[in-house]
Amino acid sequence: MNCNEAAALLATYSDGELDPVQSAAVEKHLLACVECTARRDDQLALSARIKRDVPYFPAPPAMRSRIEAVLAETSTRSRPVRDRWRWLGAGAFAGSMATVLAWFMGSAVLEWRDGTDLAAEAVADHVRATLSSHVTDVATSDRHTVKPWLSARLDYSPPVQDLSGEGFALTGGRLDYLERRAVATLVYRYREHVIDVFVRPAPERAARPSRPPVSTVRGFNVVRASGAGMDWLVVSDTSAEVLTAFAARLARGDAAP
Amino acid sequence: MEVRLPDRPARSRCAELVLPHLNSAYNLARWLSRNDADAEDIVQDALERALKYASGLQGTNAKAWFLTIVRHACYDWIGRNRPAELMREDGTEAIEAAVDPRPTPEETVIAEADAQALMRAIAALPVGFREVLLLREQEDMSYHDIARVVDIPIGTVMSRLARARSLLRRSPLLHSVLPQSMRTAGK
Repeated sequence: MNCNEAAALLATYSDGELDPVQSAAVEKHLLACVECTARRDDQLALSARIKRDVPYFPAPPAMRSRIEAVLAETSTRSRPVRDRWRWLGAGAFAGSMATVLAWFMGSAVLEWRDGTDLAAEAVADHVRATLSSHVTDVATSDRHTVKPWLSARLDYSPPVQDLSGEGFALTGGRLDYLERRAVATLVYRYREHVIDVFVRPAPERAARPSRPPVSTVRGFNVVRASGAGMDWLVVSDTSAEVLTAFAARLARGDAAP
Repeated sequence: MEVRLPDRPARSRCAELVLPHLNSAYNLARWLSRNDADAEDIVQDALERALKYASGLQGTNAKAWFLTIVRHACYDWIGRNRPAELMREDGTEAIEAAVDPRPTPEETVIAEADAQALMRAIAALPVGFREVLLLREQEDMSYHDIARVVDIPIGTVMSRLARARSLLRRSPLLHSVLPQSMRTAGK
């Protein structure tokens, strides 16, 4: 190995990223070459200099405490929430934890069979997504892209159907939350309306008392359906008739009508 | 406004993945945004995204995974607040434009100021060079992990590192604080 060859490899060698065979060759060259050794020493010196002199900024203790507390759900102070996006910020933190705790406790007290809260929650998700213009995490009309994208991030595989022939165009998907669990959310468009389809596996439990399949929350229509092994919750400002037919169609899946 | 948090298993999974690397996350955000308040906002943004995706994650390199998320959050922030910093092809223009290169008289004399000068020189590097240099030198990340976090091929990691080091050696901010040999070493 000559100096040109060694010089080309020196940085990688000094970073410890050179394979054993080439490393051995470089080392052998260094033993006999003062200039290359000096270059190698300078590279190591620059790295050492950076490590020694350049500040490393660890997470501020206050920020770390807030994050640990949020992840462990331990705080119980109460103050009103100001701004969702600052839910980890110092001022809003206590209030946001109180809101979350109240919601958790409230949910535990309420019968899970009460569909009203679920509909309200779904509408809140829908409103938040459309207001923030972050309606989809994966934006494509190709169901062969949306389905695996969602499946990779959940512990189930949501059925994603192409219903463009019936006027419902798939525009993408996102992850969202219902009843504290991550849920696949398929986004369709019907004329100028956005439809959010929350789909999750139908739980295996005794038949529930029936809840109204159609309800209205804040002017949005919410339709529930079950089929294809899944529970479907469909939210949109489009008419209840259209939405009911759509939800039925989704729940039917590939089965003949 | 309501606040939505994922359920307990997702949060504790996220805690496992994220807490050990919170310092690395903050350091990266601090170096890319160059101030504390924005770094905190960026890390909090990254955490919200991590919470969303943590429950679906199978065994992986948690540090590289989280730093990838933090880096995206950094670049979103840079795009919104300092779009001019987004890297241009020719690093030399940006490095001269970024910071006043003339060291103050004190910097040439006082020993502690060496650290200041080096810090300023790194802060003045175009962001794409700064990030690979710091991931390498401060986080001791392998080329492979850097490639993953920055989403570039390993060969590009190597060439970008070489260019970053070269820019650093030639930085006008370091005229008086690096010995001549170190300034001309390497390519």
